[in-house]
Amino acid sequence: MGISRFVLLVFTISMLASPALSDLVLSKVDRRIYLTSHIVRISSTLEVENAGPETVSKVLLAFPDLQAQNLAYLMASPHEAKAKVKGLTVGASFTFDVLAVFTHALRPMPEQIGQADIQLVLYRDSAYYLSPYVVKVQSLSLKLLDSRIESYTTLESTKVQGSEIKYGPYENLPAFSSSPITVHFENNLPFAIAQELVREIEISHWGNVLVTEHYKLIHGGAQSKGEFSRLEPQARENVQGPSAVRYLVAHLPPRAHSVYYRDAIGNISTSHLRGDSKKTELLIEPRYPMFGGWRTAFTIGYGLPLQDCLYESEGRRFLNITFSSPMIELVIDTLIVKVVLPEGSSDISAAAPFFMKQWQETKISHLDIVGRAVVVLEKTNLVPEHNQYFQVYYKFNRLSMLREPLMLISGIFFFFVACIVYMHADTSISKFSASYLAKQQWEEVRVAIQQVHNIICRCLATHDKLEASLRDLSRTGEVQACKAARKSTDGLLKELSKELKPLMTFLQSSPSAVQVLSKVEELVAKERELLEKLMAKHSTAVEAYEKKSGARDIENRIALQQQKITALRQEVDDLLEFIDEI
Amino acid sequence: MAPPAKAITSPVPDAWYPTLAVFMLAIGLVLTASFFIYEATSSKRNRSLAKELTTGGVASVFLGFGSLFLLLSAGVYV
Repeated sequence: MGISRFVLLVFTISMLASPALSDLVLSKVDRRIYLTSHIVRISSTLEVENAGPETVSKVLLAFPDLQAQNLAYLMASPHEAKAKVKGLTVGASFTFDVLAVFTHALRPMPEQIGQADIQLVLYRDSAYYLSPYVVKVQSLSLKLLDSRIESYTTLESTKVQGSEIKYGPYENLPAFSSSPITVHFENNLPFAIAQELVREIEISHWGNVLVTEHYKLIHGGAQSKGEFSRLEPQARENVQGPSAVRYLVAHLPPRAHSVYYRDAIGNISTSHLRGDSKKTELLIEPRYPMFGGWRTAFTIGYGLPLQDCLYESEGRRFLNITFSSPMIELVIDTLIVKVVLPEGSSDISAAAPFFMKQWQETKISHLDIVGRAVVVLEKTNLVPEHNQYFQVYYKFNRLSMLREPLMLISGIFFFFVACIVYMHADTSISKFSASYLAKQQWEEVRVAIQQVHNIICRCLATHDKLEASLRDLSRTGEVQACKAARKSTDGLLKELSKELKPLMTFLQSSPSAVQVLSKVEELVAKERELLEKLMAKHSTAVEAYEKKSGARDIENRIALQQQKITALRQEVDDLLEFIDEI
Repeated sequence: MAPPAKAITSPVPDAWYPTLAVFMLAIGLVLTASFFIYEATSSKRNRSLAKELTTGGVASVFLGFGSLFLLLSAGVYV
């Protein structure tokens, strides 16, 4: 009574200020209170009639103060889906639905129970609908679970039908009338309340949105007293500890992958995951069944494909994702959502269908230089009805995606540059020590030998050209071309021998080349011999062609020379290999 | 009425990540090997800084992209 008096006072003041208040009449009010969970939902259907002289555009809804403290979610919608009224004209009526969701509205009574006791809760409300208008006809029905009803207030016209208590219909009640009722009943559904939930949503433009949720849960029902025995709940599950929180169900978006469930100790394996095209259902069991007043903390994480969440429109990208926890029937006291945007995002703003506190932070994550921008959103007192989509808008240049590979590339390139610097650096202490000088001389000898090697290879190439011209001769019989080839190879070989001379003199004069000098000289000598033999063979072949003797004759003449040539060639090749390995 | 929003996907299809990682790392390692062979076999006079830098640069590009795709295919979405 005292409560409604206070509300009456408040509304009397506002009534005097706005005379349009008394013009509306609620012709029919149907209230259904769902007490089937620890979240109390009141669904009312109101039919409003305009009895006054003016068109009215606002309807006031009143809630008792204590109930208003627990109000988490309020939504009004027209009863017929297509009805859209801009102002209620005189004499017209309009029907709409109001859904009000309350948390912490069920009070456990008795407040402390043992492990095996059932949980009884108390619910207080008013049988008459509290309204600033006159109500012509109203009815109330309370829907409970299919279990024991301990007691309920009996007024006139109270009926109990199975698990439903009906009050009413009441007719022609004045404004602000109320009649308190109390229902005491059994409710063993899990009273899971998340005291704090931190949801981190990290966007990676390479194809994944990673959601990490940190839960701190408490069992908000009747406190547990007495001893706790783990054997009893396991032995007879349905009888002992009926109100304990044994498992929680979460509906993740479809195509969620890489789901994990762990806490500070490590991975928790008591979980089941099942996915279909509409949702992915995750069932998790905490490490112990939670009794009244007990707490637990864990982390759930999952990844979503990028194309399900991230969109682009009008030059800005936006993330479209659900705001609250995916768990069903969970009350959240404080929810903090952090959206981590990739490096290089600018012009950031968030939009949601309800009010929440927002601010920005920075987070340093993989391959970051300056850190990623984080949009933090905070809201208190949430129910599953709050799990709606919200958007975070930002601008992002496609080229900024290259920051990450460029960081890796520059790191590896720095390593290569370090190698080059190390090889080029001269780390000898004294430039005049014997070993340093000897090393320098050996380097020069090596260079000279490599050049000799090159020259000999070119000589062998000209030998091959000569042989090729001989083969051409045997095919076509053109002597002139052969002679021309001979002349050109002669010229080349002269040049090569000129190049060879200074190298040979240097090698002969250098003291550290003594070991290899003999081999090099042998190589040069053999090459010269080979050249002479080849020239001889060439001349005999050309002469034979000029004399136009038979093919077999030519073959016989050059056969012996050919044998020697091939043997010499083999030796030259061996020596070249040996020199190459120095 | 705002124009319909277009879904954003990654510039390289997801299914290619492991293949790309393997090939880029292989090419990068071959180039690294050739870089070190050149360093080991050339003498002080023959060495050319330009050749060293280009080989090192191209090798680091391939190794960088290869390690990025390796991280992505392992599930670390950087």
